[in-house]
Amino acid sequence: MRIFYNECKKAFTSPIFIALLLLFAAFNIFVIVNSSDHKEELKVASELVEKYGRTITDQSLRQFEQDFQVELAELKKITGREYSSVYDFLDGLNHEDHELYDENEWLFINQLQLKEMYVSMAKDIDGNYARIDFKKFAEAEIEKYGLGGAAAKTLQHEYEEFSKRFEEMKQNGEHKEWFFAGKAYFMHSLLYRSVFMHIIIEALLLMVLSTALITNYEFENRTHLVAYATTRGRSLMKDKLAASLTMATSITIFLLAVTLGTFFVVFDYSTMWGTSISSAFNWEYQYPYVSWWDLSVGTFLVGVIVVVYVVMLLFSGLTFALSTLVKNSYITFFLMSSFFVIALLIPSFMLTSSNLLFITTHNLSSLVLNPHQLFMGSSGLTMFKTFELMTIGCWTMITMLFCIFSLKRFNKKDIQ
Amino acid sequence: MLVVKDMAKQYGDFTALKDINLEFTNGLYGLLAPNGAGKTTLIKMLATLIAPTKGEVLYNGKNILSMDDQYRELLGYLPQQFGYYKNYSPKQYLLYLAALKGISKKEAALKIDELLEKVALSQVVNKKMKKFSGGMIQRVGIAQALLNDPKILILDEPTAGLDPKERARFRHLLSELARDRLVIISTHIVSDIESIANEIIMIKNQQILYKDSVEKICELLEGHVYETSIGYEQLGVFRKQYVLLSEKQEQGNMIVRFIHKGNPENEWRPVSPQLEDVFLYEYRDEIDGEA
Repeated sequence: MRIFYNECKKAFTSPIFIALLLLFAAFNIFVIVNSSDHKEELKVASELVEKYGRTITDQSLRQFEQDFQVELAELKKITGREYSSVYDFLDGLNHEDHELYDENEWLFINQLQLKEMYVSMAKDIDGNYARIDFKKFAEAEIEKYGLGGAAAKTLQHEYEEFSKRFEEMKQNGEHKEWFFAGKAYFMHSLLYRSVFMHIIIEALLLMVLSTALITNYEFENRTHLVAYATTRGRSLMKDKLAASLTMATSITIFLLAVTLGTFFVVFDYSTMWGTSISSAFNWEYQYPYVSWWDLSVGTFLVGVIVVVYVVMLLFSGLTFALSTLVKNSYITFFLMSSFFVIALLIPSFMLTSSNLLFITTHNLSSLVLNPHQLFMGSSGLTMFKTFELMTIGCWTMITMLFCIFSLKRFNKKDIQ
Repeated sequence: MLVVKDMAKQYGDFTALKDINLEFTNGLYGLLAPNGAGKTTLIKMLATLIAPTKGEVLYNGKNILSMDDQYRELLGYLPQQFGYYKNYSPKQYLLYLAALKGISKKEAALKIDELLEKVALSQVVNKKMKKFSGGMIQRVGIAQALLNDPKILILDEPTAGLDPKERARFRHLLSELARDRLVIISTHIVSDIESIANEIIMIKNQQILYKDSVEKICELLEGHVYETSIGYEQLGVFRKQYVLLSEKQEQGNMIVRFIHKGNPENEWRPVSPQLEDVFLYEYRDEIDGEA
C-alpha cells in the first residue's frame, strides 16, 4: 500500500500536473458560466413538468393549452388588444414600444412566449415524427459517405432495426416528455458536445501525462537501477499500473465533479432526470436524438460517465503499456496523441464497400469524441446498437493483452 | 554461497563477458579492472538487473533469477550512477526504498536514523537532496544499500565523489560489514580495496584474469619491480624499454618505478610489488590506449 501511495504521489505532487488540473477546472467553470445567459428561461420547462407532469398526454396538453389561453387573456389586459399568439404581439412591436411595459410585464410576456413555443412544439410532435423515416435517412447516409456493397447493406440493415425501435418508441410515447427545447437552447449539445468534450480532452491530457510520469519516473530520474534491484524488483511496474489507473480515476472524478457540479448548479435539471433522453424536445438539428433504449436523462448521463470513465482507464492502460516500451514521457505523449488521431483517421482510408469501414470506426477515439451520440441510433456510421459495448469490449481485451505483453517483456528485459 | 557458473553476456556481436566462473563466500571482494572492462555488467547480473546470455548465478544452489524477490531480499546494491529524487529528503527517499525492500515503516524509520548517522548525514535528514554535494549523495546511496541489512552487499564504484576522509571512513565501515556478509566492491581505484579486500578479482579480455588475495596477486611480480633514479633526458628511452609504473621528480632527477623480467642493472633497487603495480602492468595496453 505504501508503494502504491508513493507511486500516486509522484503524479499528484507534480507542479505541472496540479497547475493543469486547476486550470482545466477553472476553464470549465468559465465555459459553463459564460453559457448560462438563458438559464432563467429553462425554468419554464421545469414548471411544465411540475404542473402537468413529465409525460405529455392529450389531456395534459389540453389543460396546458387552456391555461395558456387564460394567460393570453392576461396579455390582453396588459396590451389592451387581443392576440391569438404572443408572436403576433411581438412582431407588431416597435422599438419605442418596449418602454410601454414594466419589468414584471415583460417577464410575463417572455414566459408566455416560451409557453407558446412549448405548446406549439408539443402539438407538432406527432406530425414531425410521422415525417421521420430512418430508412430514408439510411439512404441519405449511404449516399453521403459513398457507401456501396457490404457496407451499404450493413448500414441499411442496422437502420431497418433502428426503424423498428423508432416505431416502437412512437407507439409507447416515450418521446412525449417535457425537456428543454432543443432547437432553442441546445442543452444536450452544451452538456455533451461542449462540457463533456472539454472534460474528456482535459482528462485525456492529464491522464496520459500522469501515467507516463508514473511509469517512466525511475528511468527519467535514473533511480531505475536502485528501484528494480530491491525486493519488489520489476513487480514495481504492477504498482505503477495500479497507481496510473487510480490517478486516471481521480482525474476523471475530479474534473467530472467540479464541472458537472457547476453545470447542474447553474442549470436546474432537478425536474428533468426522469425525462426520456429521446424526448421530442431533445431535437437540435435535422433529426431528434433517439436512443436505442428507453433511457432517462439521468440514466443517459450515468451511461456517458461510465463510458468516459472506462475509456480513460483503457487509455491509461495503453499509455502504461507504451511507456514501459519507450521509457520516455515525451515520446509516450507524442505516440499516444498520434494513436488518438490515427484511430480517428483510419476509417476514412477504408474501402467504402467493405465492412472493415465499420470495424475501424469501433475505436476509442471515435467513441469518446462523440459523447452526445452515445447510445443513439441517429449517429451516422457509429449508430450500431452495440457500438459502445463492442468498442469497449474489444479495446479492453486489446489493452489487457498489451499490458500483459509489456509487463512480461519488461520482466525479461535488461535494465541498463 | 554465491556462485557464478560459466556465465557470458553478449550484446549482439559484442561480447561483454565470457566464461566467468566465480565463488563468493562471506568477506570482501574487490572487483578491479579499468573502465569498460565489464565490471558493471557483472555487477548488474549479480543484482538481477540483466540476465546472462549463457550460464547462471546460484545462491546456495538456487538460480538467483528463479529466486526472484527471495534473492533480492538479501541484496544491498549501490549502482555506479546512484539516482535520487531531487525534491525528496534522504529520509523520504530512504522510506520509499524501504517500502520497496519490504521493510515496515516503523522499522525503516529507526533504521534510517541509524544509517544516516553512520554515513554522517544525520544533520541533513530532512533537507532536499537537490542541495547535496556528490559525496553526500553517494553516502545516501551507501545508506540505502544497507537498509535491509543485506547478506550480499554489492557496491559499484562506491567511492566516486567521496573525499579522502570519507573514503577512509567508508573503508572502515566496509571492513566492519564484511565480517558477517558478502561484500563485492567494483572499482578501478586500487587504494579503495587494497587494504581491506580478502580477495581481488581482475577482469581482462572479458574474462577473469585473477581471483586471489592481494598478497598472492602481488607475488606474480615478485622480483620484477624496481626503482631507480634517471635523468630527464633518459626518460623517453626508458619508457620504450620498460613498463613504467610511476615516475616522480626528486632532486633534479626522475625516480622511476618499473617492471623488468630479465637481469637487473646494478643501480636498480628491487622493491616489493604492490597491487597497483600489477594493475598497471596487466592493463598497460588499455591504460596507454585511454591516455
